[in-house]
Amino acid sequence: MNWLDPFRYSFMNEALLTGAVVGAVCAVLSCYLVLKGWSLMGDAISHAVLPGVVIAYMLGLPLALGAFASGLFCAIATGWIRSNSRIKEDTVMGIVFTGLFALGLVLFTKVQSEAHLNHILFGNILGIEKAEMLQTLITAIVTLVVVLLLRKDLLLFCFDVGHARSIGLATAGLYYLFLSLLAATIVASMQAVGIILVVAMLVIPGCTARLLTDRFDRMLLVAVSVSVVASSLGVYVSFFINASTAACMVLAQSLFFTLAFFAGPKYGWLAIRNQRRSSGKARTASGAPEMARNGGL
Amino acid sequence: MNELLMPFHYEYMVKAILVSGLIGGVCAFLSCFITLKGWSLMGDALSHAVVPGVSLAWLLGLPFSVGAFLAGILAALGMGWVKANSRLREDAVIGVVFTTFFALGLLLLSLFPSNLNLRTIIFGNILAISDPDILQVLIISALSVLVLGLKWKDLLLFCFDETHARSIGLNTRFLHFMLLALLSATAVAALQTVGACLVVAMLVTPGATAYLLTDRFGTMLFLATAIGVSCSLLGAYTSYFLNGSTGGCIVVLQTLAFLAALILAPKHGLLSARVQRQAASLS
Repeated sequence: MNWLDPFRYSFMNEALLTGAVVGAVCAVLSCYLVLKGWSLMGDAISHAVLPGVVIAYMLGLPLALGAFASGLFCAIATGWIRSNSRIKEDTVMGIVFTGLFALGLVLFTKVQSEAHLNHILFGNILGIEKAEMLQTLITAIVTLVVVLLLRKDLLLFCFDVGHARSIGLATAGLYYLFLSLLAATIVASMQAVGIILVVAMLVIPGCTARLLTDRFDRMLLVAVSVSVVASSLGVYVSFFINASTAACMVLAQSLFFTLAFFAGPKYGWLAIRNQRRSSGKARTASGAPEMARNGGL
Repeated sequence: MNELLMPFHYEYMVKAILVSGLIGGVCAFLSCFITLKGWSLMGDALSHAVVPGVSLAWLLGLPFSVGAFLAGILAALGMGWVKANSRLREDAVIGVVFTTFFALGLLLLSLFPSNLNLRTIIFGNILAISDPDILQVLIISALSVLVLGLKWKDLLLFCFDETHARSIGLNTRFLHFMLLALLSATAVAALQTVGACLVVAMLVTPGATAYLLTDRFGTMLFLATAIGVSCSLLGAYTSYFLNGSTGGCIVVLQTLAFLAALILAPKHGLLSARVQRQAASLS
């Protein structure tokens, strides 16, 4: 078998391109999500798009539109219930997104289109249609441009809301903008990796980058590069082993995370162990690595 | 009238309704501890993390609950270890670990096509539950109820105030592990009824609903269990008429119960809060 075989098929080339673009946009968002501590939000919104997709399908509207509306609804409903009841945010999120997902499942029994459901749940990057691919690419690129234009504001919003407000940023606006961007990213990735695994694409690259660098600009760069490489690698490998493409993409992401976790130059497991050992030997030098570690972002 | 009794004419429906009710009750009982502890995300994570265990168990010919339980425990330990050894936040670590496990499960299922249908794992398939599977569910439920019944006071203290629990000499590490084990076990049982994506609803919604209705933990346990059992029974029953997705019906009902409590609860509901506010502004 030739290593260049996959590139001879146009569906593989398209899948590689879509995978890379989706990987890039998810990676950018993931840096902000990890910083803000909103990993669960990605999970919740991605499950909550299901009823929107089903309703849009029944009404003959674009699926992406329904998905976007339903994802945003989940986020807003979560925020509203949390501020109007005594239940913790993570619990509210769990209730709202499972409620919506279940609603989607029940509605789905009225639609007889098995293939579509599987594609939405687990992605269908190898069989993606031209129109879907175009939609994915446009959504992803628009999201990417908006995030990059507003990256400083969003960074401040995620890092310290109080400070962002005090210097005059419209934090409420940023909150909704960020949620919309998140929903748009999920909609863009839906066709490629499916709504169940999209949360992986939205969490892992940011975590990997966080383990490798202290500067946010660099973190964005690292996350995007790692994620693009991992997505392409996943698509490429799935061709040879004939396995679920979405699963391969996510496992490639996990592989890079594992590498960063163990071998990261400063925050890796090995590096920290070595530091501990050397600081144990030379007690006088203790504190210095500690400060270096806390001094960053 | 006869129409309404139709589901009870079928043995598989009666079984499905009864097993759903049992699982709903056990999950709801546990959900009081989970919501109090703030472990909703953990419930979601473990229910996804058990998937590779299910497929491995099938490949090796073991009972699926053993594999699922071990995968759940492994994931929980993995999360704890990564969290302790990196500077990442807990929610991010949970996200990384459970999605990795889940992807691994998908990979195994796509590499070794089996009669284990992916959709069964994702959505549950209580209508076609086999007798050995029912036995597994019964054993899991009995063990969970036994442990919870014996240890509920310790667990309550642990969930409510870990530091206090430690200071009065409780073994909090043990309790932590026990709660994780209970969570994995019930997630495995619930996987059968509602599937991996909706397990978290069974493990969170009844507890949160009961929390809106009462301030006393004993009453909360009772209410949550009652809500869990009745929603599951009714959901499984309704799914016969809707012709599909038992898990979806159960969880939609639980969500409706939650919404009703959110609006109408006597003390913590939205309506009573509004009335209180008006009364306060009048006086």
